[in-house]
Amino acid sequence: MSILRDMFSAFKGAGNEVGEAIIDANAVRILEQEIREADEAIHKSKQSLTKLKGTEIRLKREINSLEVDIQDYEAKAVQALNENKEEIAVKVADRIAEIESDRDEKAAEHAKLAADVESLNKMIKNRNKIIQKNKRELEKVRTIKELQKTTSTISSNFAASSSNAHRVSKALDRVKTKQAKWKDDMEAGDWMASQENVDDLDKELEAAGIGNNPGKSNSVLERLKARQNA
Amino acid sequence: MNYTLEELAHGLNTTTTEEGTNFDAVITEIGVIEVSCSNNEEFPIHLAMTETQLLSVTPLFNISEVLEGKVDQLNNLLLQLSPAVPLSSIGLQDGNYILFGAMALNTIFENIVHELEVQAENTVDVLEAIEPLLN
Repeated sequence: MSILRDMFSAFKGAGNEVGEAIIDANAVRILEQEIREADEAIHKSKQSLTKLKGTEIRLKREINSLEVDIQDYEAKAVQALNENKEEIAVKVADRIAEIESDRDEKAAEHAKLAADVESLNKMIKNRNKIIQKNKRELEKVRTIKELQKTTSTISSNFAASSSNAHRVSKALDRVKTKQAKWKDDMEAGDWMASQENVDDLDKELEAAGIGNNPGKSNSVLERLKARQNA
Repeated sequence: MNYTLEELAHGLNTTTTEEGTNFDAVITEIGVIEVSCSNNEEFPIHLAMTETQLLSVTPLFNISEVLEGKVDQLNNLLLQLSPAVPLSSIGLQDGNYILFGAMALNTIFENIVHELEVQAENTVDVLEAIEPLLN
C-alpha cells in the first residue's frame, strides 16, 4: 500500500485545481493494525524460537554424547577382536548398532528442528521489514497531518479580500523597514564606538605631549596679517 | 536529546543568536509552537512534532493571492528556486504555499535555532523573488 499515492489520488471534483491530501482514516487504521499484528506474530515467534532452540541444543548435546559412546564401544569391540573374544565383540557390535540407530533418529530430529529455527528466523525478519515499512508509511501520514495543523489556522487570514490586497508586499515592506532601522542602529552604535576610540587616542597623544605645536597660533596670526596686508 | 514542545519554546524564548536574532515562542491550543523571529516578525514559523521529526513550517500565501493565470508560472519558479534555498523547501498544503524544514527529533538545540533563523531569512528571499506574481 502506498499511502501517499492513495492520499493524493482523491481529488474533489473536476473543477478543483488543487489536490488536497485526504487522509484516509481507514488506511491509517489498516497500517496500524498490520503493525500490531506483525508485532504480535514476532512476539509469538520469538517464544517458539526460544523453545525450539532449547530443544535443538539438548538434542545436539545428546547426539554428541552418543557419538562419544559409539567411539568408546568401537574401541572396545576392536580390543575384544584383538583378544579373540568374538562373542563379546558381537555383543558390543550390537550395542553400537543400537546407539547408532538412536543417534540417527536424534540427528534427523535435530535437522528438522534446525530447519524450523531457520524458518522462524526468516519469518521474524520479514515481519520486521513489514513493520518498518508500515511505520514509514504512517510517518508520512502523520507528517501530512502535522503540516495541515500548522496551516489550518491561517487559511482564513490568507483568503483574498480587498483589505488583504498586496498583503505580502506590505508585509515585506515592513520587514525591510525594520531591517534597515536595525542596520542604521548598528551603524550608529559602531560610529559611537569609533568616536570613543578617537577621544581615547587624542587624550593619549596629549598626555604623551605628541603633536603639541606651540608655534601653531603664531603661524595662524602671521597668515591673517599677511591676508590683511594683501 | 529529544525536546518536548515546552522545553523547546522555553529555550527559544531565552535565546539570542550571534547575529542578534531573538525569538518569541508560544504553544498554541492545537499543539504547535508559533515562533516569531526578530529578523522577520511578519511571517511566523510553526513548529510541529511527529514521531521522528521536528517540522518547521512558514505559511507564505494562499493560492488565491496569486495573479490570475500566473499559478503555473509561479509553480515553475518555485520548483526552480527550491533547491537553491538553504535548509528550506517549498511546498503546497491545502492551497497554502509554505516554506518548510524538517529536522530529526534529536537535533541539538543550536542547530534548531540556526534552522529557524535561516528559514526566517529564506522567507523574505523567496517572497521577494515571486512578489511580482502576487496580487
